[in-house]
Amino acid sequence: MEAILEVKGLRKSYGKVDVLKGIDFDIKRGEVFGLVGRNGAGKSTLIHAIAGIVHKTSGAFTIFGQTDDQLNRVKRQIGVMPDVSNLYEHMKGLHFLKYMAELTEDKRPKKELIELMHSVGLHGAEYRKIKDYSFGMRKKLSIAQALLGKPEFIILDEPTSGLDPESAIHIRKLVESLKKSGKTIMLTSHNLDEIDKVSDRVAILSEGVIKKLDTPRALKQEQSESAQITVITKPKLSLERIEQLPFQMVFDHEIEEGVVLHAEKKDEVADLVAYLVQEEYKVYEIKTREKTLEEVFMDV
Amino acid sequence: MLSIMKREFIDVIKSIRSILIILFITFVSYQTASFFNDNDGLVRDLLLGGEVTESAIYSLAVSFIILFFGFLFGFSIAHQAINKEVELKTIRLIVSKRSMRDIMVGKLIGNYLFWVITITLSYVLIFTVTKSWSIDDYLSSLIFMFYVVTAALLLSTLVKKSLATMFLGMFLGVVIPILGMMSLASDKVYFLPFKYVLPYYYLEDRSALMLIPLVIGVIFFIVATYLMEKRDL
Repeated sequence: MEAILEVKGLRKSYGKVDVLKGIDFDIKRGEVFGLVGRNGAGKSTLIHAIAGIVHKTSGAFTIFGQTDDQLNRVKRQIGVMPDVSNLYEHMKGLHFLKYMAELTEDKRPKKELIELMHSVGLHGAEYRKIKDYSFGMRKKLSIAQALLGKPEFIILDEPTSGLDPESAIHIRKLVESLKKSGKTIMLTSHNLDEIDKVSDRVAILSEGVIKKLDTPRALKQEQSESAQITVITKPKLSLERIEQLPFQMVFDHEIEEGVVLHAEKKDEVADLVAYLVQEEYKVYEIKTREKTLEEVFMDV
Repeated sequence: MLSIMKREFIDVIKSIRSILIILFITFVSYQTASFFNDNDGLVRDLLLGGEVTESAIYSLAVSFIILFFGFLFGFSIAHQAINKEVELKTIRLIVSKRSMRDIMVGKLIGNYLFWVITITLSYVLIFTVTKSWSIDDYLSSLIFMFYVVTAALLLSTLVKKSLATMFLGMFLGVVIPILGMMSLASDKVYFLPFKYVLPYYYLEDRSALMLIPLVIGVIFFIVATYLMEKRDL
């Protein structure tokens, strides 16, 4: 698939502080690319560099086939939600969107701008001043402005942080519908469960470098050398039996119908099944649990 | 660019300060024109000196206001055109959609348009009373305010805090006209830079030199745009 963004060796320093220390990745057309990292990992700086808000120190990127010094040529194809603190407070929501639409030469009528506000979950706020908006409303308005001009590539910096669960789900569904309509999306979030659900690929940024980059599934599997196994049998496996197992597997905790064990290697699950059959246990369930993206992230 | 210009112009013209400036300039212009129109004898006496034209006498007030208060008024309106957007980070939104050059040109035209309208309105009022229009003085005022607006944009780019540009703008708005006038009257070496950098010397004579403040203004604007293009926002 064609890459619409290719980043090579991107570095950004503020004085002696290196925020990005050589970033390499690409984003393919139509994919949702998740970027996770702790506070200060460089996520926003990376987004700002791609959006032309800050200037790289070295390295390069191409976007829609244009080099970074030709970014102005493709800005109208990119929708950016930089952060939420940069809206024109004195303007009314609808007037703000109208101004942003003019900047992107988006000539949609007022009715469609109102529909756009509704699509991000902003109802009845068209003629309210932005300074009277709640944090969540500002966030939604910021997302709405990023969608103006019908951009092919949308960059969202923490679109759901600070939103109530209902609004967060609404925004997640919006991201999914944008993906379905063929848009390419790059988003950052502290909500790893959300990144896991919507992203095709995830990059874990830490201390200015990308430590891991793969599909959420591959990331979780790569990290899952060990496994947590739920074993439901009749009779229930006793602690004594577990200690006598002919392979390395330790008791983790007991549940109502069975036990949860911890294996250092996933292969040992097959040995466990063979052992239980041989010992004539009735096996009702053996389930291994993958690591969550959060656990993967914490391991980096 | 057109949208940025429009937004800038609306923001400028909506402020109380701008409305007061328009009222002040147009009111004084109208009253002065009416005064001279009602006092033919005084106009004839002034014309005897041979240094001014009749139309220039009628537009005396507006020329005087622009020369002496142009910097003060111009800086008070445009001093935060750039740094306020940077402070509030709203520039991040615009720069993600448009080039910095577009933004700067929009800001320049939006602010300058206010002065073109204000000065033109004053001359229209003078014309309705006296039926005369001093083209030289009109162009001179427009060129002068172009210089002021570009200087204000450069100031707003160089000084990052809008509060600082407000005070600096007021200070410069008072000091620059004094230095400009002194540089015209004095032969002292240390006044030479002011003589050649400020617009007063070039606008004294109605000659091709009048275009030099326009060129200096363009240089100010290019420097301001270059600095903004290089800055992290």
